[in-house]
Amino acid sequence: MPRRFITAEDVRRAEGGRIVVEPETVVTPQALEAARVAGVEIQGASGTPYVEPTPDRGPDAARATAALPHLGEPSEVEAAGGTGVVVTAVGKNRPGILAEITAALATARADVVNISQRTIDTYFHLVLTVSLDGAQGSFGDFKTAMECLGGTDDYVVRVMHERVFRFMHRI
Amino acid sequence: MPFTDQEILETVRMVELETLDIRTTTLGISLFDCADPDLESACEKVYAKIVHHARDLVEVANSIERDYGVPIVNKRIAVTPIAPVAAASGSQDLVPFARAMDAAAKEVGVDFIGGFTAYVHKGFTNADRALFDSIPAALQETEHVCASLSLATSRTGINMDAVGHFAEVVLETARRTADQGALGCAKLVCFANPVEDNPFVAGAHIGPGEAETVLNVGVSGPGVVRSALSRLGPEADLLAVSELIKRTAFKITRMGELVGREAARRLGTSFGIVDVSLAPTPAVGDSVSDILELIGVDVTGAPGTTAAVALLTDAVKKGGAMASSSVGGLSGAFIPVSEDSGMIDAVSRGALSLAKLEAMTTVCSVGLDMVAVPGDTSAATIAGIVADEMAIGMVNHKTTAVRIIPVPGKGPGETVEWGGLLGTAIVQDPGAFSCRVLYGRGGRIPAPIQSYRN
Repeated sequence: MPRRFITAEDVRRAEGGRIVVEPETVVTPQALEAARVAGVEIQGASGTPYVEPTPDRGPDAARATAALPHLGEPSEVEAAGGTGVVVTAVGKNRPGILAEITAALATARADVVNISQRTIDTYFHLVLTVSLDGAQGSFGDFKTAMECLGGTDDYVVRVMHERVFRFMHRI
Repeated sequence: MPFTDQEILETVRMVELETLDIRTTTLGISLFDCADPDLESACEKVYAKIVHHARDLVEVANSIERDYGVPIVNKRIAVTPIAPVAAASGSQDLVPFARAMDAAAKEVGVDFIGGFTAYVHKGFTNADRALFDSIPAALQETEHVCASLSLATSRTGINMDAVGHFAEVVLETARRTADQGALGCAKLVCFANPVEDNPFVAGAHIGPGEAETVLNVGVSGPGVVRSALSRLGPEADLLAVSELIKRTAFKITRMGELVGREAARRLGTSFGIVDVSLAPTPAVGDSVSDILELIGVDVTGAPGTTAAVALLTDAVKKGGAMASSSVGGLSGAFIPVSEDSGMIDAVSRGALSLAKLEAMTTVCSVGLDMVAVPGDTSAATIAGIVADEMAIGMVNHKTTAVRIIPVPGKGPGETVEWGGLLGTAIVQDPGAFSCRVLYGRGGRIPAPIQSYRN
């Protein structure tokens, strides 16, 4: 089994001014500092400079990663697809809100899959299921851009991933 | 089938108005391979291993928050109990381990790191003793480290020597952090029957039966349950109340399940458990006390409160169990007094005594939590309170805990402000009588017999 760690103490005990570490070994920051001060070279097995290895998450991790896709997940909602997001807007009704929102969606090149709106007295709620398959930028950018619309005395927009609703409302 | 507007707006309302959130994503990291006869090397390894594994934790949690639009409030680390890790060093002073944990927590940007822990429910190793003695200084010196102790189990009984020593450690920690209202004690908890996969602080740690690394998630949402119950109204019978809480807990837990799976996948580790616990915060409406009052008691602490807590805890567990591939941790309802504005209100109105709180802990998911007592409370009295709580856990085969804060310079009825998630406490009166002889006896209370259960 490879050594788990190289510590500053190991560096102090090193002979020949060089330590060769195995690919899984973690060299502590203190050991790296001690090596720098003492002029000890820390190398990987093939003579390359030491780089911190990818974390070894343990014997269960690989099995867990392989098993994860087999855990049942609520079935996908038709047409929404895996990259579907749900955009909601709630607030005081006034002309032009739908235009503002759909204009922002068009700018992001997001495709509206489903749309529904209700008004109750002077208030409205609007729910749009949107596909980001052909969209530009990340989900995060899209969310930020959409949530900047409206205002405190106007309406608020919220963007959530369709998978959240699938987990919460479908078995 | 497409989602209905009602379903979509329900979820958005939960997050936006009812403070539904993923309370914590906690990465468990085994530190057994960090044992070293040299104290300095052992601490180096502890620091290096935590940073090595948790470097991406905060970014992964933030990326899930961004990608799904689900708030993830805290990112935490739970490690193997430090006492067995430190044993090989032979050191009597284990504060350097706490410093290494604290430095690692700061480096990776997590809120808390739990695991300055010892299991002493039957006896002390030298390292356990050293850990006990190091706790006050460790909690004084560090910012992010939480300490926890196992003092009793149903199979071994209660280690009353450890209970007595815990009381002294609590008082010393309070003394050392007196300038902050004994804040150190908020990061110190003792358990009967501790769970080994607890993602919530102060008791977070991963037990010896856990994997090399594991990702656990804690979900909360008292505000969601409260809001659902307020819409149900007072006419519905208790079965209907239970059903509603179950359905709500199911939905809350599903969000934890989604985040847990995704976080484990992105970190490349195994997904451990979802801990579905109604954990209140001082935010208005995010209160377990409010739920109890909506179930039907005038004020929390009034007759009927224990029954209401029993209904609530059970319904949360049932709803959560169906919703997750693996429910674990403490799962149920927390009743941390200072962190729940409704509880504080009940204390200030004289409705919620320490005795009633103790009764409620027989059916809640944890125990006496964030309870402030006068700073001049004796070690014997604190040991008595702890022993009572441990006895409840031991006999009922449940997890119980005590997080008690003797606030220096404060007497019964006075207020102490900790701010943030820890909230405000009103110092409670533990009564004029104590248990000096019981405290002085020491030894162990044997484990209860398993049959003849009445």
